[in-house]
Amino acid sequence: MAVATFEHDAELMLRVREGDAQSFALLLAKHRGPVIHFLYRMIQNQAVAEELAQEVFLRVYRSRASYEPTAKFTTWLFRIASHVALNHIRDGKQERNQESLDQATDEGLGRQVASSAPTVEQRMLREVRLAEIRRTIELLPAKQRAAVLMHKYQEMGYAQIAVALECSESAVKSLLFRAYETLRAKLAHMAGRG
Amino acid sequence: MKNTKDNACPMQKNEGELLLSYCAGSLAAERVAEVERHVGVCPECRSWVEGQQTVWQALEAWEVEPVSADFEAALFARIAREEKAAGWQRWREAWRRLLPGGLDWRVAAPAGAIALLLVVGLAVENPFRREQAEAMVKLEAREIEKAERALEDLEMLRQLEPLEEETRL
Repeated sequence: MAVATFEHDAELMLRVREGDAQSFALLLAKHRGPVIHFLYRMIQNQAVAEELAQEVFLRVYRSRASYEPTAKFTTWLFRIASHVALNHIRDGKQERNQESLDQATDEGLGRQVASSAPTVEQRMLREVRLAEIRRTIELLPAKQRAAVLMHKYQEMGYAQIAVALECSESAVKSLLFRAYETLRAKLAHMAGRG
Repeated sequence: MKNTKDNACPMQKNEGELLLSYCAGSLAAERVAEVERHVGVCPECRSWVEGQQTVWQALEAWEVEPVSADFEAALFARIAREEKAAGWQRWREAWRRLLPGGLDWRVAAPAGAIALLLVVGLAVENPFRREQAEAMVKLEAREIEKAERALEDLEMLRQLEPLEEETRL
């Protein structure tokens, strides 16, 4: 199944290289969700994540002429996405996003309080819990964060993450273990809270 | 996989990768039972696994927002703009290839101005010449008409001459 997907995506990309716009639309429809969600969790701002995702797919389109299926398409795609996200963070645009995250969280809580029904407390607790998870993830160094997100949500293996982050497999293992160690320490109090 | 000095647990042997794969659900089936047996007897590994499962559950609770409806349309519009810009670029490149030294505006601007003057000059010159030619044709026609009338008058005078002589006689 994985091999079939690998071949299918690479085949579509080779068709894009030949000028088939329909194949590009198919690849976009299939991968836009995972890419946007990865960028959203990296940057924690939906509008910025979508803007960066456009940049990612634009780079895919621009690179069509030189595309060679040497690696799995998703690995290549997430290599571009990681690069775009890490550049964005490196350029110091993260603080502004954090402000909007705080604002969004506050607004979210405000809405919960204003709404009626007996689930208000549960919703508030859930919002607070999610805000804490997001903040904990955001406090991880950018490369650790990217490694965790690709490992957890994209179910990528060490070798794939290594290609995406342009480092060795042992470096990826080190990134993941340090990241999960931090997360285990900071989120331990959530044990048994469903 | 006993927690003994000779056969240490994965954590002591720095093989957390095994436990991480177990928590992620990506461990090969034949090794799952092995890890579970070990976790049952090793408090350190049990604590590690419980902590990791807490992290895993917390991350699973993190939902994402839906993608904007106009995401694809906006992307295709950007691609169309890039393609258009690339078209202009190709056109400029073609001109650069035609002019080996590149397109030097210090030369191109006066040359363009001269070409423009020539085009405008021809556009203005042609109607003038056409009007002149038409006037000449009209003039020639008028001259021919005058000559014909003069010949007719002479003919009429010639016919009148014998009548005058008869009257005199």
